[in-house]
This record gives sequence, C-alpha cells and structure tokens, in this order.
Amino acid sequence: MAAAVRRVLWLSGVSGAARARPGAQTLRLICTSTAVQNRSHIPGPPVYTQDFIKEQTEEFNLGKRHLANMMGEDPETFTQEDIDDPKELFPSKSVCQWGEDGRPFHFLFYTGSQSYYSLLHEIYAKLLRIQKYEDEMRAQGSFPGTGNELKLIGSRWLIKEELEEMLLDKLSDQDYSLCIRLLERLVASPCSGIEEEYMAKFRRGYVVQVQRFMNEPLQYDEQGVAFSTGEGKRKTARATVIVYDNGSGKITVNGVHYIHYFPILQDREQLMFPAQFLDRLGKLDMVCTVSGGGRSSQAGAIRLAIARALTSFSTKNEVECMRQAGLLTSDPRLKERKKPGQEGARRKFTWKKR
Amino acid sequence: MLRGLSSAVRRGRTLYAGRSLHITARICLNGIVNQDVQIAEEKPRAIFRTSESNPANHTEQHDCQHYSIPLEEVKVIFPHGLPRRFKEQIETFKEACLMVRKPAVELFGYLKSTNFAQPAIRYVLYGESGTGKTMTLCHAVHYCAKQGWLVLHIPDAHLLVKNCKQLLQSSYKTERIDQPLQASAWLKNFRTSNEHLLREIKTQQKYTWNKWDSTEEGRPLVEMVEQGITRMKTATDVVGAVLKELKRQCSLGSFKLLVAVDGVNAFWGKTTLRKRDKTLVSPEELALVHNLRKMVMNDWSGGAIVTTICQTGSVFKPRLAYLPHELLGDEGFSALEPFVPIQVPKYSEKEFESCYQYYLDRKWLQHEKARTPDGRAELLFLSGANPAQLERLAAML
Repeated sequence: MAAAVRRVLWLSGVSGAARARPGAQTLRLICTSTAVQNRSHIPGPPVYTQDFIKEQTEEFNLGKRHLANMMGEDPETFTQEDIDDPKELFPSKSVCQWGEDGRPFHFLFYTGSQSYYSLLHEIYAKLLRIQKYEDEMRAQGSFPGTGNELKLIGSRWLIKEELEEMLLDKLSDQDYSLCIRLLERLVASPCSGIEEEYMAKFRRGYVVQVQRFMNEPLQYDEQGVAFSTGEGKRKTARATVIVYDNGSGKITVNGVHYIHYFPILQDREQLMFPAQFLDRLGKLDMVCTVSGGGRSSQAGAIRLAIARALTSFSTKNEVECMRQAGLLTSDPRLKERKKPGQEGARRKFTWKKR
Repeated sequence: MLRGLSSAVRRGRTLYAGRSLHITARICLNGIVNQDVQIAEEKPRAIFRTSESNPANHTEQHDCQHYSIPLEEVKVIFPHGLPRRFKEQIETFKEACLMVRKPAVELFGYLKSTNFAQPAIRYVLYGESGTGKTMTLCHAVHYCAKQGWLVLHIPDAHLLVKNCKQLLQSSYKTERIDQPLQASAWLKNFRTSNEHLLREIKTQQKYTWNKWDSTEEGRPLVEMVEQGITRMKTATDVVGAVLKELKRQCSLGSFKLLVAVDGVNAFWGKTTLRKRDKTLVSPEELALVHNLRKMVMNDWSGGAIVTTICQTGSVFKPRLAYLPHELLGDEGFSALEPFVPIQVPKYSEKEFESCYQYYLDRKWLQHEKARTPDGRAELLFLSGANPAQLERLAAML
C-alpha cells in the first residue's frame, strides 16, 4: 500500500521535472501495470561502489592508527586480526547490471547467471585456442608430450562455495559439476600448458597437516634399543603399544602371542597394516596392552596405537602418507543410541497391518 | 647373439691371455641355452624336495625337504589317519608330499635304537595347535610300515568319546558300553593296512562271540577281523580280542608292533556321551577305550608306542592348552608316565621357506604379490609360522 502511494507520488514528481513546469503540481492518480513501470529508481539491495569502499578503507586506516596510539603500539606496523577489514564486512556484491535505459550491460544477462555462463564461454574459448595450437604443432611436425599432470599434484579444483564466491552467483550442483568437467577437459588436452595461469586461478593447494600427528622423539632403553609408545582407541577399547626397533616381528598382546590372542585373520591383518605400509614388517617388536571393547575394536585400537608409535620412527613424508591412508585418524563411530518406539537404533518394530 | 659372442671374445682377448680362455669358455657355456635352463630348474628343486622316499634313510641332511609317498602306498598304509586337509591337498596336487622335520628325525633315531627285549617306550608328541603333530605321526607310521612293523594306527581317539550315535551295552561285561560303528570301521582300515601280517599271526585261544559264532584256536587273525567287520554287534569284542592277541604275541618277538594313537588325551578325560538314563559316560566305561588304554601301557615288549596329544578335537579343554600335563590331566599323566616327550614346534625360517617354495612350485599361490618378498613377509606375519595357518592362507590365494 505504501509502495503504491510512493509510486503515485514519484510519478507526479517525475512528470513535474520532465516538463519543467514550476508551480504546476498536479496530483494525478495514474494506475499503470507493473510491466510498463520503470523500476530503475527503486533502491534495490544496498550496493557498495568502489568510492564508498575507498572511503571506508581510509577511515579504517585512520581508526587503526588511533587505536594503535591508544594501545601504545607502533601505528606503522599495527596488525590485528580481530578488527574486521571493511572488505569482509561489506562483501563485494554484484554492481548494477543495467544502464539507465534499462538495457543490461552483459550479453548473457537474460540467462539468469551471467557470470557463470560467461565463464563457461571463456573456458570453451581457451579449449578452442588449445586445439588450434595443437593443430599448428602437428602441422609443423612436433608432437606434444604430456607434462601437465605434474602440475596438478598437490592442488585441487575449487569447491562449489569458492566458485560461487568467485562468480558472485548462486550455483546448483549440476552447474558446478559441469564447470569442473569442462576444466578437466581443458586440462586433459596435451597442449594445455599454454593456459597454465588461467587454470591456476581455479586450483587451490592442499595444506600439509602433518604437524598435529608428529609424535615425540625416540627414547632409548638400557641396551640402547630405540623404542616409542603410542596410544589408540576404538569404540570402547583402549590400547597402549611400545614399539622396539631391531626386532624380528614378534608381537605380544597382554602377555599372549598375537596368533593366540587374535585367532581371526581379519584382526591380524589390522595389526599388520601400519608396519607393512612403512615396509618394516619383520623389523619391529611390539608389546601391547589392551582392554575393553570386543575383538575387532581391540584390533583397531592396537592398530591406531602402533601407527602413532611409528610416527616417531618415520620421516615427515611417511607420516603424511600414513595420514592420507587413514592410519592416524581415530575412528569416531560409536554405538548409536536406542530410540523409544523402536527395537534398536534403526530397527523398527514389526509392522502389522491390522 | 653371434655378434655379441664375437665382441665378447674380442674383449676377452685384450685381457691377460689365460683369463681370456676362461672367459671365452664361460661365454660358450652360457650361450648354450638348454644347459642354463637345466641348471636353473635343478637348483630351486634341490632346496625343498628330496628324492629319498624311504623314511628309514631320512637324516638331518634331509631336514626341511619334502619327500613324496607314492599314491598306491598311501592307499595301503593310510586308509585312515591323514588329516582331512592333507587328503584334499593330495587330491589337488596328485602327490602326497611330506616335509622331513627335526622332531620326526629325532623320533626315528629313537625307534632305530629301540631294544625290543625291553618294555615298549612311549613317545608323546606335543605342541601348539596346528604345528604338525599328526603329520609327524603319519611320517612315523610310514617309516614303520616300510620296515615291516605291524601298525596299530588309531586316527583320532577323540572320535571315540564324542558324537557316537550307537551305544550298545556290552555282552561281555555288562557295565561296559560297545561302539559297533566305530569298531567295525576301524577294523576295516586295520585290515587294509596290515593284511599280509595278519594272515601270518594265529590266535592262541578260542573266542566265542555269541551263540552262533566263534573263532577256533590257531586261525589267522584276519578271520577274526572279518568276523568283526561282518557282525557289527561283536566288533568291539573283536577289537578287544585282537589287541589282546597282538600284545601277547608281540612279546614273543615274531613281529614288531607300533601303536600309533592320535589324541591320546581323549582316553583320560570326559566324554560327551550319555547313557539311556541321561547320566554321563566316563571313558573307562567304553570298551574300546578300556582296551586301548591297556595297549598304551608299557607292560609288553617288542615295539613302540607313539602318541600325540591334541587340543583341537578334545572336549572341555581350554583352547590354548598344549602341554602334556594340561591336556592329559593328573590321571592320564600318571598313567602315561614315564614317557619321552618330543615337542613339535612351529616352522623355523628354513622350514617356512621350504613350504613356501613348495606351494609356489605347485602353483598353489596364484596371487601375483605372493611371489614378491613383501608377499612372503605378509604370509609369514599373518600365519605366524604356524603350518596349519599357512596352509589355510595359501588356500585362499
């Protein structure tokens, strides 16, 4: 209701300005359909122009120097992560996409997600460029090698949220997967080295998370044999393992040989995995104590404990490999709670039709 | 190839003259492909196989080597007694290969030096489950059979004290219980393995089985055995009589007797059998067990008694028990005392290597990683050098 009134008032104002008739303020109720109405004057979502952001940044810097003075710090080298950067507080939103005449600037505006489709067009243009380059190379007689996979190691494609942030556009899962497939196709061609910088925009590197998993340094007992301790858990089982170097592959669990404690093959395979992964199968002796849980969870707990103990014996690369193999991650699964009205956690009571 | 040879010869000639001759000779030898292949074939075979098929000649020199028993001999000597998985392996590989191990060689040493005038010595093979006690016993049985001994082989004494369908009250002694099925089956196999000897041994007294059947004095034992096989009701009594005859006549020295019992701890333990009135049967109430207990006593001479104690088929015994006292109990231990204990250990490095090479040679390990050193280390770890576990693992690959 208020909007309609505003529309009416504004019309009168505009008509007044356009015809430049001072004094003649006639209030006419003009009812127009929404299709005809020009909506460019209605303030849409708040748009922060570049000048606005520049102003805010200057104010921010000034405020930062004041704060540094107040705190007694050096204003030149004052950095504090807690203070929000205006760039984060006022995230970059898409600027107005059409001019005064109402015609959109971008030729793909009416697709609905112009930045996404323009990106697809760009990537395809790059693909065509690569193919043309490849044809030229073949015409000259030099056949391109394959050296592109090396650059892809250690990095990953953008995830959907990152791509949305880049394009300032909402994407659906299918859109995202289509974009990634197109990029993969770009990478797959042999001459894609020429578009490396363009592709690098869409790649993010992996952060090495080894630091969390590095164990304490090795300890040495009376005979000079290096040993290391590790603890592990799985469900309700808790295990501690002492791994000795210069051994013959002997493993004792709660004082019993591992063949007798774990007659099932699956459990012995779990024990074997960490040492086999690092190629030290017959070279280590282990003394384990385990309590709680059942046979499978005890085996899992011992496996985690062995892997943790072995981090002291191995290099950073080996620890990273173990982490990626999942040897150093504690299995978080626990027994799910039984719910009322059901027989178990998921199992419902037998359904009787009548 | 010729170009390579000639260039090698030229290279050889530049060196010191005498050496060059050696080099050329070696090159010529290596050039002959057949000989190369032959040498390569013989070498791996020599590690895990031996051609010595008479156990009497097995010494420490043949340690860790496999020897094969001809299949006709297997049918005669082992109508019963081989472990089930080994029988399947024989069918698969079409050969019966046994590894010569230290406990067996030790046992043969003792057997060769037995004084047959002295009472029979008892040997007890013990060890953890799956280490090869039954196979060592079979090796000993093969040895004695080749030597011409009369072999009394009870394949698994545990089968007498559990899962018995038919129990009859004995007609001979009312408090004892007969097991006709087990007795007749055993008599059949006994006849197969010792036919030639049983024809020569004669009975020394008259046996009356029932109103209609009897065996006269002086008849060959084979007749008595046939009588037991045909008339199942008298089978247990026949077994008792046969054992009595053999014990009596062995001391006279006309033949040598080997009593081989697998799982002798079954004789002194509990049974899972119940009488009609739902009371538990104790082992001495079973006629077969009673007679066999007498056989295992060392009150006769002219032979040897080789036994194994086994947890695998036993009733009411903990899984990890393997020592003689644990499995025999007080009663059994004092009954068997004095005995010579022989431990059968797990595979040593050399034995494991031999077994592994045998499986590779027979193409039993099909997995491509099984041939690599990593695969071998994995097999060694997962089986823990236990022969039975290794066999089961290899069957899966």
